[in-house]
Order: sequence, then C-alpha cells, then structure tokens
Amino acid sequence: MSEPAERIIDFILREIVRRPGVQIDVDTPLVSSGLIDSLALVEILHQVAEVTNLRIPAGKVQARDMDTVRLMLATAARVGKPRQ
Amino acid sequence: MNSRFASQGATLYQTLPEALLSAPPQEAFVTFWESEDDTRSVSFGEMVNLVLAQAAWLREQGLRAGDTVILIMPQSIPLMASFIAAMYLGAVPAILAYPNFKVEPAKYRSGLAGVSTNLKARLVVLDSGFPEGLIEHVVVGDGARLVRYSELAATPFCITPEAGSHPEGVAFIQHSAGTTGLQKGVALSHEAVLRHLARLIGVLRLEPGDRIYSWLPLYHDMGLIACFMLPMVAHVPVVMQSPTSWVMQPATMLRLIADYRCTLSWLPNFSFQFLARRVDREERAAFDLSCVRALINCSEPVRASSMDEFLDAFSACGVRSEMLQASYAMAETVFAVTQTKLYDHELPCRVWVNSEVLRKQHRAVPVSADDPAAVCYVSSGQCLPQTQVRIVSAKGQHLPDGDVGEIIIHSDAMLNGYYNRPDLTDQALKEGWYWSGDLGFVWDGEVYVVGRKKDLIIVAGENIYPHDIEEIVSSHPAIHDGRVVAFGLYNPRLGTEDIVVVAELRGKVIPENTFPIEQELRNSIVGALGVVPRHILLKPANWVVKSTAGKPARSATREKALSENKELQEYKQEPALQ
Repeated sequence: MSEPAERIIDFILREIVRRPGVQIDVDTPLVSSGLIDSLALVEILHQVAEVTNLRIPAGKVQARDMDTVRLMLATAARVGKPRQ
Repeated sequence: MNSRFASQGATLYQTLPEALLSAPPQEAFVTFWESEDDTRSVSFGEMVNLVLAQAAWLREQGLRAGDTVILIMPQSIPLMASFIAAMYLGAVPAILAYPNFKVEPAKYRSGLAGVSTNLKARLVVLDSGFPEGLIEHVVVGDGARLVRYSELAATPFCITPEAGSHPEGVAFIQHSAGTTGLQKGVALSHEAVLRHLARLIGVLRLEPGDRIYSWLPLYHDMGLIACFMLPMVAHVPVVMQSPTSWVMQPATMLRLIADYRCTLSWLPNFSFQFLARRVDREERAAFDLSCVRALINCSEPVRASSMDEFLDAFSACGVRSEMLQASYAMAETVFAVTQTKLYDHELPCRVWVNSEVLRKQHRAVPVSADDPAAVCYVSSGQCLPQTQVRIVSAKGQHLPDGDVGEIIIHSDAMLNGYYNRPDLTDQALKEGWYWSGDLGFVWDGEVYVVGRKKDLIIVAGENIYPHDIEEIVSSHPAIHDGRVVAFGLYNPRLGTEDIVVVAELRGKVIPENTFPIEQELRNSIVGALGVVPRHILLKPANWVVKSTAGKPARSATREKALSENKELQEYKQEPALQ
C-alpha cells in the first residue's frame, strides 16, 4: 500500500470512524456501506489534499468519487492542481 | 414599501402559477450554482418559457388536470420548471428525493412502488441521467407511466391551463418523512400556500432588495416553500446550490451569499456548527456577510450553543447576533408556525429553566443561567398572523404558560389532509387543530420547542422514523425479529442527532467479533434510508426493555443503553420528560 493511502486510512480510522475493531483497505466502500457519513467527506477531502500536496477543487468532486481510498487518490490525481 | 410586497399581495393570485406569470419578466429569478465554472441563471420571463414548454410536453405524455405526477430529478432549474408546469396544467406534482449512489436498488424499488401506489400517480418523471442500475428497479403503481425527461428548447408554446386548477384544489404534495408504509403525503391547496406566503412576506418584511440563498432540497418544506415558492410569489431572486455540493464544500454558501449580496437564508441547526467547524479560519476572511438580514434556524431543535459557535466564527465577516433568527415550521402548516422578529435588532429570546422540574413536573421554571440545574432553550418566535398555538396535556386540556405539553396548531392555511390517507388525517387533525407531536411551552407569547412526543429522529434536518430503521435491522438473519429499538441522541459536536440502534442477537452466545454483522446492518440502513447510524449495539436475548404489551419500549431501552454503554457517554444528556 502506498504511503498516501496509509496516511488517509489512518486518518479515517482515527478521526472519523473512531471505533475499535474496524479495518479498512484501499477498496473498502466507506460512504455507500454506511461506515462513514457523507458529512465527514469534507474533512477527508482536506486530508487527501494535505497528503497528496495538491489543491483539490471540491466543486469537481462528488461523494461517489470518495467512496474508497483508491477512488479518493484517483480523484485527487484527476482534478488536483499543484499548490502554489 | 413597494405595493407588490404588501403582505396581502400574494393573495391577489388564485393559483401559484399565476404568481409566476405576473412577475416582471426581465427580473432575475433563479441562479443555480453547480460548480466554479458552471452557473445557470433564469429570469422570471425565462422561467415562464421553460414552464410552458414543459407543460406542453407533460400534456403530450398524458398528464391532465387532477392527475398526480411524481418528479424524480436532480435539484435543478428543470425540476423547478416541471413542478410549476404540472400545477399550470391543474395536475398535482410531488417531488421525491433523487437517489444518490448509496441507495440500494431493492429498497428503492419498494419505497417508490409504495408512494406511487398511494399517490395513484399518472406519470413518474425521471431525468435522462437517472442511474442506469436503478431504472429496472423503478416500479410504478397501476395506471402510472414512467417517462424520461430531457431538457427541451425553451420555446414559448401556446398552451393554456385546463379547467380544474382552482384555489381550493390541491396544488402539490410534500412528503415529510418515512419510507414504506409510513410515507405521508401532505396535500396543500393553492389557497393555503398563497395565504401562508402572504403572511410570511409580511412577517419577514420582504423588500424588493431581498435575495434568498438556499442549498436545501426541494422535496423538503424549507427548500420548497421558503426558498422556491416564496421567491416565486414575492418576485425576489434566489441563489441555489444542491445539498450535495454544499456538503462537499460548505464555504461555497458563504461565497455565494457574499458575491450575490443575499439577505435571507434558512438552515437546519446542524449547519451553523458545520460551517463554523468546516470552513478554515484563513478562508473565512474573504467573505463579507454584512449584507445578510437573517439566517433562520429551522427544522431541527434550535440550540443556543450552535448559534453562538457560528457567531464566534463569523463575526469578523460581518455577522451580527441579530442576524441569527429562528422559526418553527412543518409541511402540515405549509411552512412557518412561528418566526422570531427580524428587525429592531432583536435576538431570539432565551430562557434558562430548571431541568429537573422540567423533566419531572413538565413545567418550565426560570432559573439564572449559572444555576447548576439550568438548561437553555431558544425561542422559535411568535405565531404568524391568523395562526394559533396551544399547549395541551395528554388528555387534551389547554395548559397555562410555562407548562410543557403537546403543541397543537390552528390556522386557515393548513394541509387539506394526508393524500389518500383519511385514517392518518383523522389522527392528526382534530376539530381544525393539527396535533404536531412536538412538545413545548409558551412563555411571554414566545413558543419554545423542547422535544417530541412522537418517536421521530431528526438528522441534519431530515425526519427519520425509528420504525423504518427497526424494520430493516429486524430483517437481518442474525437479529431477533422485533427485538430492535432505534432512537436519536443529540450530538453536541455536530449540532444534530446521531442514530443509535440497539438490537438483540439470535442465539445464546454473542460472537467475539460482531463487526461483520454491524457492517451488514449499516449497509442495509444506508442503502434504504441514506442515513448512517452512529452506534449499533448488539445485545444478548432479553436485553431490550419491553412494555407490558410485550413490545420493545423505546424510551426505557434508550435509558438503559445510556446508563450501561461506555460508547454513549459522549452524549450530553438533556432532560427527557418522564
């Protein structure tokens, strides 16, 4: 697993899920499975931008683009722009 | 004040489409923000053209006066045009939530079939981008036809409304909550909506310079009435974005308000906190919000802490305390029952009452704010004109000021009834009074809402029936059927309620790792209802408290769960009435 993916997973477990015994990998559905609420996506999107060092215009991102960590990183690569 | 804004102005119209047709055609109506590089605006005149084109198309599809039509389209200008077009033909539209990617096809199927049958819909209109995977699951009732909408050129058609649209007739149907059998369609007449809007225009002192901002869904009364019907009838502009775009980037709301100089907005309580916590401090500086007259906290219990947090976060942007107002509203009364004063630099009143007396004796006894037993309630304001509120006991006795009881409401602008559900109408409407199921008290003419008699969970402004969740959880093979309780707990971190589910497992031994079962339950709940339970507590047999009739007792199980579960300690407890 890539380092950015690990950091995002760690953030989701520590800050969002906050329950013991939960395991997720890059392909675990997060929102569609009910593991996290879509209200938490804005925090995760900030973290993805932080980890990838990209500026991600939130208007180009839909909730379905954030359903797994793999999708999040692909979305960041697709719509992200270098930070100035 | 401009004469067209006189508070009785709206009642000059016989039907809602007439109000649109009478608007000054060149003036701005809806600006719809999709993303940074995609914004669409229509004037009142352009909206009329869209409505006429859409009405011609709907008539071609077989829609006639008196028919009901279900609209399942994304939040957009075409959805608004279709809604008015249906009314223009004398038909009765109902907007249903657009399925998001979380929806499970089978659950969607049964929900839609139920509504379509109850409404006896002639047409179900889906947009051209409706998810392919769900199309085959769209089942409509007998006599209904499914049609796909595609945006037509906005060419004015010579089309005249059919006879059948009249002031007392049902204008549209709103669904307040529920899925399956619990879904209730609130039927409102043109007359009731116009009468209500006339009063709202007066109470809000709406002026030609006002501009409304909204991210609220159009299937919800706040989005539909306050942010679509109100600007249409009062001929003021509205700036909108979809709920999903707002959730992904909450700061866009502030940018749109600042850029378009919006003056009014309605928001559920949680969003005040969400904005304060999710918009970066550095980002805030860019927004000048001094143009706002009022941000009205509505559709969830109003929390002083949420309002204060918002004020702290945005006072540097020009937000002043008197901008933060409140209202108590529901679909059954068209919209607002009460509204706080938006002028004279007044804030909504706050009272601190003794929580123990409130809980045990159902009376609000004021104490000082620093009393250890003090709990703060924010007023939702005073009744709108021609609207009366009474607080009544369980036996229906009228209670004096300060006593807590059920809020019942009477006005001449209320629902005609629940559509095709005379049984539910009879339960809720008694001798012209609507029994809201909310608990509250009146103090100095101000209405304070303190809780609910009916077991409803309100998550981010959306009404969820515990029964819907319990039914889904009960159907899981590992769960003891019928031994499930769902309830809401206020989460002060979010400013809204969290859903908690307590369910008994079948079998005598609780597996060591219950996470897979929990996850399956989460999956089913989010797939059917679109909401996520925060806690699922799986328990051994006989854990759920039962009533004398042998049914799960919600409030007793809630108390037991709160006292016995560590994970529920984070919830700040409020007085639950005994």
